[in-house]
Amino acid sequence: MAAQRQASSASQTPHISPAELSYIYTSLSLPGAPIRPDGRSATQFRPLSAETDILPGTNGSARVGFADGTQAIVGVKAEVERTALGIEALTQAEQEEYAAETGGNSKSDGVKQGSSSGQGSWVQMAIEIPGFRDDDALPVFLAEMMREPLVESVAGGGEGGMVGGLKGRLVINRRWHWRLYIDVLLLSQPLSYPLPLLSLTTHLALLSTKLPKLKSKGEEDPFFDDDWDAAEYLYPRAKSTSTKPSSIPGSISVHKVRPPVTLLVVSVAENVIFDPSREEIAVADAVLAISVTHDTDSGRLKLLSIRTIDPPSRLTQPGVPNSENVATLGSTAAAEESVIINPSTGEEEVPGVWRPRRGGVKRATIAKMVKMVLEKGGVGEEVLEGLEGVEVG
Amino acid sequence: MPLDTSTTYPLTKLRLDGRRWNELRLIQAQISTNPASSGSSYLAMGNTTILCSVHGPAEGRRGDATGGSAGGSGAVVEVDVNIAGFASVDRKRRAGGSDRQSGRIASTLRSAFQSHLHTYLYPHSTISIHVSVLSADGSLLAAAVNACTLALVDAGIPMPGLLCGCTSGMSGSASTPRDPLNDFLDPLLDVSLPEEQELPFLTVATTTSIPTGADEDDDDMKVAMLTMDSKVHHTYIETMLAVGVDGCKQIREILDGVIKGSSRR
Amino acid sequence: MTDRRRINGPPGGTRPPVFASSIKPTTVAAERPQRQRQPNELRKIFLKTGLIPSASGSSYLEFEPSASLSAARASPQSVIPPSSSLKLACTVHGPKPLARSATFSPNLVLTTHVKYAPFAARQRKGHIRDASERDLGVHLETALRGAIVAERWPKSGLDITITVLEAEDDRWWADAPDSHDAAWGMMNVLAGCITAASAAIADARIDCLDLVAGGVAAVVADETAERGVSAPRLMLDTDPADHRSTLSACVVAYMPARDEITELWLKGDISKASVGIDDKNLTHEALIDGAVDAARGAHSVLAEAVRESAERFAGLSSGKST
Repeated sequence: MAAQRQASSASQTPHISPAELSYIYTSLSLPGAPIRPDGRSATQFRPLSAETDILPGTNGSARVGFADGTQAIVGVKAEVERTALGIEALTQAEQEEYAAETGGNSKSDGVKQGSSSGQGSWVQMAIEIPGFRDDDALPVFLAEMMREPLVESVAGGGEGGMVGGLKGRLVINRRWHWRLYIDVLLLSQPLSYPLPLLSLTTHLALLSTKLPKLKSKGEEDPFFDDDWDAAEYLYPRAKSTSTKPSSIPGSISVHKVRPPVTLLVVSVAENVIFDPSREEIAVADAVLAISVTHDTDSGRLKLLSIRTIDPPSRLTQPGVPNSENVATLGSTAAAEESVIINPSTGEEEVPGVWRPRRGGVKRATIAKMVKMVLEKGGVGEEVLEGLEGVEVG
Repeated sequence: MPLDTSTTYPLTKLRLDGRRWNELRLIQAQISTNPASSGSSYLAMGNTTILCSVHGPAEGRRGDATGGSAGGSGAVVEVDVNIAGFASVDRKRRAGGSDRQSGRIASTLRSAFQSHLHTYLYPHSTISIHVSVLSADGSLLAAAVNACTLALVDAGIPMPGLLCGCTSGMSGSASTPRDPLNDFLDPLLDVSLPEEQELPFLTVATTTSIPTGADEDDDDMKVAMLTMDSKVHHTYIETMLAVGVDGCKQIREILDGVIKGSSRR
Repeated sequence: MTDRRRINGPPGGTRPPVFASSIKPTTVAAERPQRQRQPNELRKIFLKTGLIPSASGSSYLEFEPSASLSAARASPQSVIPPSSSLKLACTVHGPKPLARSATFSPNLVLTTHVKYAPFAARQRKGHIRDASERDLGVHLETALRGAIVAERWPKSGLDITITVLEAEDDRWWADAPDSHDAAWGMMNVLAGCITAASAAIADARIDCLDLVAGGVAAVVADETAERGVSAPRLMLDTDPADHRSTLSACVVAYMPARDEITELWLKGDISKASVGIDDKNLTHEALIDGAVDAARGAHSVLAEAVRESAERFAGLSSGKST
């Protein structure tokens, strides 16, 4: 308990000694089989508990708790809003009028598509982390990082799918649309980089999100069904939409389209490690946030965004080798400390003495990290399958 | 709003949510909900849902104005209130950081608990309380007081007694002097959001000294916090206060049960 | 955060009123800017260091205006320019001691601050930094921190401030936001910020592993006269206003001497595009490689600017001694 207290009040920069850092780095960089401090395999995730639909006052909500005690709650709210018309929409209206007058059919598909697809700014995301102001760099960066793949995903059409992805789903008609507010609450100060926790919680909250059923048709002002049981899921489900209007309890409803997930991947020497803990991320050479989702057409995973995250290892304190240490000078033979070249960073290093990481990441390493997420039967699929196991709604 | 308490109550003697004047909403509470904090609690009063977590007593952060040397004689209580964007019916657009409502709740809680807790036991330390409001349906301050008390008990921070908060209002605008012969206004216990918006109400929090067993009686009940910011004729205050204090007593029993129930596990 | 101290303009962009009856479908489309460069041809970059004497290091960066923009400037057809070109100024203050209240740091503490001038883009920006500007600041910090040898300045801070005087828009002004709408202009701004900041840091004589240059590559779909929207193609150093829609884009901060990437920001969905004819060409790896190529181009300009700065410094010091 005492250790937990200390950890929770510490800031983002880890307070780990150079000797510990060097030890963790060495065990994580063992070729082929890294030894992680908590005994997981390189691709294993930490256990978590999840529940959805916890807040009746929202359109959708979820809570996820990690085993280390950090919890996140996400609430999704939707509002109806008027769409600002662009010049193309005006032109199109003009063209249609003209076409109706003359009886000809002038059709331009490009323009048509332009007006029926939504805008990324309709999805707003705010992250609340205790100890941070909401305009601090970390919450803003995290919010942008998670919002980006959400609005970027352009899913294929298909039966029961979402044409134009989430943005397309938010369109009611040409003059009205839904605005989606995603509020993320982290309940305690993060013990590790909170991205995986927040991303999984947001994923589940969006799956449980329902929008009222539209009763008006076409270009009328929108008018909705009061019955909340008739509400439709934001991310449509195959079973419940095809057979019966109300879903039978116990029946498995399969999501055709699912919101993306963002995975945190770090590289340590030659190894690629998923879901890093606080200690592991502190020694990482490179940290990437990779967002993926299911591609409905090919059944494979597709990449939506990659961002590098500043690895905290660049801010750590360096260790002092014995040869330079005044206290131990002369007690160790200088020959004992042979300088080696780190294969991943190409810098001279004394084994067992920690140096803060410098420089960037090789292209081959990035490609390897992305491949491990995307490949068939890879980690990305495993995570999405695991999330499908969570009962939603 | 056609169905408001002030018009329907005199006819039915039932409030909007079907309660009588002296009934509390359903209270559900739980402690030790968040293992990552020193103490934590979950409290739902009707549709008002609050999560509270306590960190500390711990050493104050360096470079912090309040930490380190400032709390020389005792612990400093820090309160941080966050009303989630999805808490009320319409999503609130907050302009940076915190709005006025959460700021006021935070400062009231801070002063209430700073004087209530035995802070002299922890010099040079900080007790930080984080309150998240997940859904707001009236009596926010009272619910926050109760949630904080539970979390502080969970964190094992000594206090003379449970600090319990409750609201009470009047079933009309109560702007004219009270007529003892024709008293048609009833006090209302534990107001909900629609009632809060149209009726005068006050929030009171009381505490007791250490329960000594059988000879517990009302005399050692102390009012620790009392806030009111609506207009009401002074003749009604006594009634409202009496009802509020009585509500606090009921809540104390409920919270007591929650704490005892969870320690048995 | 709202700015309460000033009288602010309208939150949205301003557009002159266009009456539906006055639009002829042909006139608007004719003004659409077209990319005149080859797919792998970069815009010329103007980069100069040491323009701000009060700062320890500074630089100014400007992109060459596109063909349609320079034509429109020579003989304006409309009040709205067809596209915009990036202009930004970067100042570096430091290394300087950290504030007394700050916690101990064994390394140089980097602070980055990216601010658009209110008039920089079509969408007016407020005086207080908004989410996208803060986001850019974090990206820039990540890009630079990998290059700076930070442990040579313990307990010190370095402030990097970038003012964007003219930013690139996310799309052509008359286009309705389509399904691929996103802040594409931001990515070009980030690439410019990285290159300019790297020059300014070198001008401030901060030790770096290498000069870090920014580059952008994007998969774009164009509107051609004969068959609507053309097949998506990979292009380097794209100007979002030149293209009908941008499917995906990537920015890198690249250190050529070490062949390493310090910052990578890729977004967009190219799964549809890669199903097309030239399958091999449009993967995320091709996109990253394209951006690296663009960064290599920017690096040659950067190296020249830094050499100029070094010569000026050498001239100054020799001038002092004599």
